[in-house]
Amino acid sequence: MSPILLVAVPLLAAFLSILSKKLAPYLLLAVGVFNLVILFFIPLGFEIIGGFNQPLGINLLLDTYSKIALILINVLIIVIAFLNIGKYNKFSSILLLAMGGLNGLVLTNDLFNLFVFLEISGIAAYLITSSNKKPVKTFHYLILGAVGSSLFLFGVVILYSMFGTLNMVDMIQKIQITNNYKELILPFTLMFIGLGVEAKLLPFNSWVKGVLGKSNTLSGPMIGGVYAAAIGFVLGRYINNLFMFEGNLLIVVIALLALGILVGEAMAFSSTKVREILLFSSIAQASIVALLFVNGIVLWAVYYIVAAALSKTVLFLVINKATKEVGSDEISKLKGLFSNNLVVGVAFTLVTLSVMGLPLLVGFVVKLNFLTELAVNNQIWLIILILVASVVEGIYFVRMLVKLWYPEDNVISVKYNLSFKVVFVVIALILLTFGTYTAPLKNYDNTIDTIQEVVDNG
Amino acid sequence: MKNILGLFVALLLGVFIILALDTSASFPEFGDIDLTERVSDEYLDGNNIDDVGSANIVTAIVVGYRGFDTLGEVTVLFISALGVALVFGGVPNKQNRLDLKFKPNFMLKTGSKIIFGFILVTSLYIIFHGHLSPGGGFPGGAMIASAILLLYLSDDKFRSNVKGFKLLEGIAGSLFVIIGLLGLVFATYFLQNFLPAGTVGEILSAGIIPIIYVLIGLKVGSEISGIVDNFLTEGESV
Repeated sequence: MSPILLVAVPLLAAFLSILSKKLAPYLLLAVGVFNLVILFFIPLGFEIIGGFNQPLGINLLLDTYSKIALILINVLIIVIAFLNIGKYNKFSSILLLAMGGLNGLVLTNDLFNLFVFLEISGIAAYLITSSNKKPVKTFHYLILGAVGSSLFLFGVVILYSMFGTLNMVDMIQKIQITNNYKELILPFTLMFIGLGVEAKLLPFNSWVKGVLGKSNTLSGPMIGGVYAAAIGFVLGRYINNLFMFEGNLLIVVIALLALGILVGEAMAFSSTKVREILLFSSIAQASIVALLFVNGIVLWAVYYIVAAALSKTVLFLVINKATKEVGSDEISKLKGLFSNNLVVGVAFTLVTLSVMGLPLLVGFVVKLNFLTELAVNNQIWLIILILVASVVEGIYFVRMLVKLWYPEDNVISVKYNLSFKVVFVVIALILLTFGTYTAPLKNYDNTIDTIQEVVDNG
Repeated sequence: MKNILGLFVALLLGVFIILALDTSASFPEFGDIDLTERVSDEYLDGNNIDDVGSANIVTAIVVGYRGFDTLGEVTVLFISALGVALVFGGVPNKQNRLDLKFKPNFMLKTGSKIIFGFILVTSLYIIFHGHLSPGGGFPGGAMIASAILLLYLSDDKFRSNVKGFKLLEGIAGSLFVIIGLLGLVFATYFLQNFLPAGTVGEILSAGIIPIIYVLIGLKVGSEISGIVDNFLTEGESV
């Protein structure tokens, strides 16, 4: 079994799916399940393509880091595709391409290849957001994404002309020989901006409000859950191994990310629309993830991404379904949403509490551990910042929950299908289980990302 | 105010780029690169050229060494075409041609059809010789589409067979991936050449490279033709 199948099979299915539109949604589900099954049979390590050894050809790297990412991405795409079956059938080919693109994005060990997959998954994302029926907002996203990926490509071009290779491991080795990080500020900045647009980092995230604020049961969980997670993993890989932020640049990056957390939480706090609260909290979360990677806290950043992706999928699904039936996402219009939907309400509440970081839930475990590691790194200011952000987050989430639970005179009724309920409950149970039984989480450590090891040992 | 700020940021980025590249010792002057330390040196290595079998080294890189990127680029074009169809495409068979501002006369229509044949033959030549001379699947495919565009512009009644194009692009794309997967079966790796490389410079050489380039040519040609049709028709949206 080769990891290339995780990319090749979705692409093959996508090409075939345009021949039969009726079969496309089922093909999508089948390919997703196929990917998940073979993931457990593929040995970890490098896989070269075309029979050309690195750095001559392109290669992929499957390690524990990318394996976690792949499981998360494929599971979530299957779940979202299954819940939307019959409603967004014409997006099936696009979801197949998104699956192949995102899998390639986390697998590839080649910088130009990464750009290619960034394009595939990016265009797929624009098309997924076109299901919002807000063409201008989608166009805004498209322009920002296109400029971002052009800058990323420009950064790769500069790195290639400096070091004559595109292979990531090879490039890191050559950079270490040169040992002059000042010269790399430009390409790293350009590439960071390129990834920052997709990762929703301030100040490149002006598209998020228009896209996620009008999202539906397809685009909300896809962009707010799956894409956020995948790009988080990619950003982590690069911050951790390639981008050498040092001196002034490091201060600028940390300040930007810290500002991103503050602005995100403040905007969420002042918003009265549920979807906006969720999207602004996503912006803050993306900045926290990047901040953890910058501080070398890989493992807990990974768990944070996984928990955030699972939670955001549930939150966006619940709210976007309700919004579609009620016709508004103002909190005041959704009052008492859960009084008739006990199961959904309990699951939603558990997930929200996990995002806030309350004990017994996985969000708490993750937050406690990364704060401890930040303390070991002597980052007192960052700890204070994250704690303040958590308090703000706690206030607006509790305020929202209270209103969603207590009905007003006119009771609103939103019907959730059984499949929706099952997904909500299962994800809530996962968050609860790993929040109380934390031993499996500690089986791994920061070495799940093996690139550094390969670079050192040749 | 927003525009001025944008201009300022753009200028700042420009100055930053120029200054950073100008002072960087690792960034080589034009023509100053020491090839022996670079991957590109190996692409020019005689033994490697014989192994891959493509006389056109650019093709050897694009379809051989970095064939996986090319599969990705083909996918980018595919998804763009899907996107155009999603945005512009209406109910099948209910779309109408956009009107031309003039009435095409007999000379124009017939002349274009004659030229269409020439363009098509030339594009096929370019596709089939991608591993020998400059050209290949992408430019050849774009030429096929330009021939179709010519027919659209010279004849206000012309509609291409869009369904046929869809079929062609689906099959060509699938075959590209399947050839890659055959590499896993008959050789060891995805997209690995499992056919004899032959003699460099002959039309039947370079193993799977010409086959892939023909598929790319068909796929690119049918995709861009589909995009042309989407832009030149209108109808009720779904």
